[in-house]
Amino acid sequence: MRYAKITPYMFIMPMLLGLILFRFGPIVASFLISFTDWRGTRPPVFVGLGNYLEMFNSDVFWLVLLNTFNFTLLYVPGVMVLGLGLALLVNQKLKGIAVFRGIYYLPAITSMVAVALVWNWIFTARFGVLNHVLRTYLGVSNPPNWLSNPDTALLVLVIVSIWKSAGLPMMIYLAGLKGIPAYLYEAARIDGANGWQQFRHITLPMLTPVSFFVLIITLFDAFSTFEVTFAMTRGGPLNASTTLPFYIYNNAFNFFRYGFSSALAYVLMVIVMILTYINFRMRSRWVVQDAY
Amino acid sequence: MKKYFSIASAAVILSLAAAASAQDTVTLRFYTTQPEATERPMIETCAAELGINVDATFVQGGVNNLMTELRALNTGGSLPDVFWMSSGFVAEFVLDGLLLNIQEYVDRDIMPQAENYFVSAFEAGRVNGDLYAFPNHFVHTVMFYNIDAFEEAGVPLPTTDWTWEDFRSAAEALTIDKNGDGLTDQYGYYFFGRYAHIEAWVYQNNGDWLNADKTAFEPTPEAVATIEFLKSLIDDGLAPTPAEMQGLPNPFTSGLAAMWLDGSWSIDTIRSNATFRFGVAIPPRGPSWQRDIAHGWSDMYAVGAFTQHPEESWALINCLTGPNRTADLVEAGKIPVYRPVAESEAWLELDKQPANKALLLEWAEFIGPNAFTPGWGEWRGYVDGAGLQGQLDEVFNGNRSIEEALNAVRTTVTNVLNRFYSN
Repeated sequence: MRYAKITPYMFIMPMLLGLILFRFGPIVASFLISFTDWRGTRPPVFVGLGNYLEMFNSDVFWLVLLNTFNFTLLYVPGVMVLGLGLALLVNQKLKGIAVFRGIYYLPAITSMVAVALVWNWIFTARFGVLNHVLRTYLGVSNPPNWLSNPDTALLVLVIVSIWKSAGLPMMIYLAGLKGIPAYLYEAARIDGANGWQQFRHITLPMLTPVSFFVLIITLFDAFSTFEVTFAMTRGGPLNASTTLPFYIYNNAFNFFRYGFSSALAYVLMVIVMILTYINFRMRSRWVVQDAY
Repeated sequence: MKKYFSIASAAVILSLAAAASAQDTVTLRFYTTQPEATERPMIETCAAELGINVDATFVQGGVNNLMTELRALNTGGSLPDVFWMSSGFVAEFVLDGLLLNIQEYVDRDIMPQAENYFVSAFEAGRVNGDLYAFPNHFVHTVMFYNIDAFEEAGVPLPTTDWTWEDFRSAAEALTIDKNGDGLTDQYGYYFFGRYAHIEAWVYQNNGDWLNADKTAFEPTPEAVATIEFLKSLIDDGLAPTPAEMQGLPNPFTSGLAAMWLDGSWSIDTIRSNATFRFGVAIPPRGPSWQRDIAHGWSDMYAVGAFTQHPEESWALINCLTGPNRTADLVEAGKIPVYRPVAESEAWLELDKQPANKALLLEWAEFIGPNAFTPGWGEWRGYVDGAGLQGQLDEVFNGNRSIEEALNAVRTTVTNVLNRFYSN
């Protein structure tokens, strides 16, 4: 009885301590570091808002930020549409459909390095499959250097990322589709609704809670994209495909600018927080609250 | 009872003596990126020879991982006694006072037997005239050429005094559209803006990227002329653009280019992948050439500035980089700094390619200036392909002028160096 009040806390203490030491600690520390010039070879020098001012006065930062938004604007809808499309495809009652589900989910669990190698062979300029098709079958005499052209490098990363990431949303949408009561479709058919009308007025609205969830996780995914950039373009040419997470990594672990990269990380965090807040505020406008 | 008491007392005294003796033995903390399989036996040999203990840590994942770890250790006040040092970081570590000046040790132990060392390879560890890191081995950039392609095209093999015009003539003869489809099947040469592809050309044309004290990006006219020459190779179809080759396996080893200038360490890679005979040549001389200058640098060991055991730390480095570093402990294209090992048949590998591997030792005598500064990796684009490398690639890809590119680099270098030198 005497220890009843603290006993539950003792049970969660290890987790709580871990959280405080290894999560909240670094979060607070990196916030403080963001106000310093620190490279680890000498004590940090307090620079006030210097890192933030340098960032906002840097052309590279604005380019990287633009790249991050462009990536997100293409990636998030791309993953959601492809995920939903695949879910609709694998929601058929066909023999061996589980195999198809497995195949479509395979990219999600494949190593990004392996994926990048394969896509490199598709997009590479001289011997790439894509340019071979463009040259040989479509008569394009001078097809683009996809990976090293500033106008196309980011687009390539978006395409590869969408292809690789659509598997998880597919599974989530599939679960959502399975949860839509069959009687809604039966009633719609009796009322004469065609397939598109059923999809537009039953499937889509009933999936809005799932879509909201997919939107949030895909948004986080977009703002933390790293592997595909690292494996395919290293952010090049000249930062044309660099997004914020990769820029943070470069500044921290290649240029050893811990203060500047911490400041970048906080800007990224604020952007993600604002977007998440907006999404939650907008939720009531398009998510059917009692869909099930 | 008295007897047992005496035995127990003796045992206690002996164990205390042993503990005291163990405490007297110096223990050095040692960090390296080198493979544990080859390094640990050497470290143990040296430790036994010197009568010290070495607590060795083998950092995986390359130099940048080690540099991150060293920064963390330094922040925690526990910089190791001895650690691996890459040329690109020496200037920064010296600037921030993390490396011990080892000039007096080198003067005492190495210079009296200077004929046994490639002294030219010491330069990468020198800052303001003093040595702060000592080479384990060194490398330089050389021209690799495909002997089979040269013979098929009837082109004479490169000589030690060949010029840019000789090189261009060879590249023209080696650029071939084998099936007549309008696409080049074999280029004379392949390169992009990487430091190991460019700097040797600049130095062999008597040019430089930086001012004399390395505090500003001031490309000499000879350096600019070098870039113009390299660009002309692409314009004339003798080399592909960097964009065309992105994402492909090495064009030289795959036979797509007949010549390729890169670090001597590439020998292992070429041996493993190429199906043709290859040789090495020194980079050709430009029109402004005055003397041969090799673009070379070293992988080194350094002593931490805060070590309590500077003498033992230096002794360990001396042991690791001397006769104990036998040829089998160094990769094929990396040259041991201890000359008798480098000149041994075991290192020269007379039964393997390139047949003229000894040229690497001759070229080592000409190692000259380098462009390493604090933040070199950042402004040179060493890791991220931006900086000077990215700008040069844009020039070679035809997307911007040389002047535009070099002006952009000037801004980058100024910003980077200002960070290091302003406070």
